[in-house]
Amino acid sequence: MSSLVKCPHCGLRPREEFAIRGEVATPRPKAGADESAWFDHVYLRDNPRGEHREYWHHAGGCRRWLVLSRNTVTHDISDVVDASTLKVGGDA
Amino acid sequence: MRDFPLNIVSPFPAKPAANGHAAVHIAPIGDGFVFHVLGNAGATEGSLKKLINDIAPELGGALCSPSPHQWFWIGSCEVSQDRFAEILAKLPDGFAMTDQTHGRVRMAVSGVKVRDVLAKGTMIDLAPDVFAVGQSAMTQIGQIGAMITRTDDDCFEIMVLRSFAVSLWDELHHMAAEFK
Ligand SMILES: [Zn+2]
Repeated sequence: MSSLVKCPHCGLRPREEFAIRGEVATPRPKAGADESAWFDHVYLRDNPRGEHREYWHHAGGCRRWLVLSRNTVTHDISDVVDASTLKVGGDA
Repeated sequence: MRDFPLNIVSPFPAKPAANGHAAVHIAPIGDGFVFHVLGNAGATEGSLKKLINDIAPELGGALCSPSPHQWFWIGSCEVSQDRFAEILAKLPDGFAMTDQTHGRVRMAVSGVKVRDVLAKGTMIDLAPDVFAVGQSAMTQIGQIGAMITRTDDDCFEIMVLRSFAVSLWDELHHMAAEFK
């Protein structure tokens, strides 16, 4: 895994400063969605080979939640944004 | 607002300056104040600076930002609890502030070997041409969260939560031991 992460607020930081909290889940199902949709949302994770979006918390720095786009094969990080920017689209 | 006065007591041993090294000097900063200011999404450092100038110009001090829309307002004078309450009352909507003088402890580390000492604990680049005088960063020294500010050529100020201060103090002396 890449040892340096470019926090949009703090700049290049070692990954030891971050807590990794797993994939960015798909949008929450509607309240009336059937059980399989909820089961998928709550329990099932994709573990893809390739591009993956993950929540990282910059615990040792700005303490902001970030969304990091990482390739699980090459470990290249293509994009890091503050998680609050996801809200703009209304589906985070 | 708090219900009882805060006693600000140094967490360090009685004569901490006695532990200084030749090439590295480590000293507690006992005086002054630390205020933690939170701003809403529209708050900028510029607007906060102007605000401070308007409501408490006599305090001076500097702002360093640990996170977006958050600042530590740090200065060297004593601020009474009444004065703090006055400033708080003048703070407009969109800002919130707490007195952290008792909760955050500052220390000064300086000397020609200061970067070699800090490099043992922190992973950020403190090289003179990368980390300018006045610049600060919220990061870690070992596993201890610390705000590092460069105050002069070979001088840094480190601010940590009070309960970590003595631990970091001892650690800094271990890190500096080879330069005795
Ligand atoms: Zn950060």
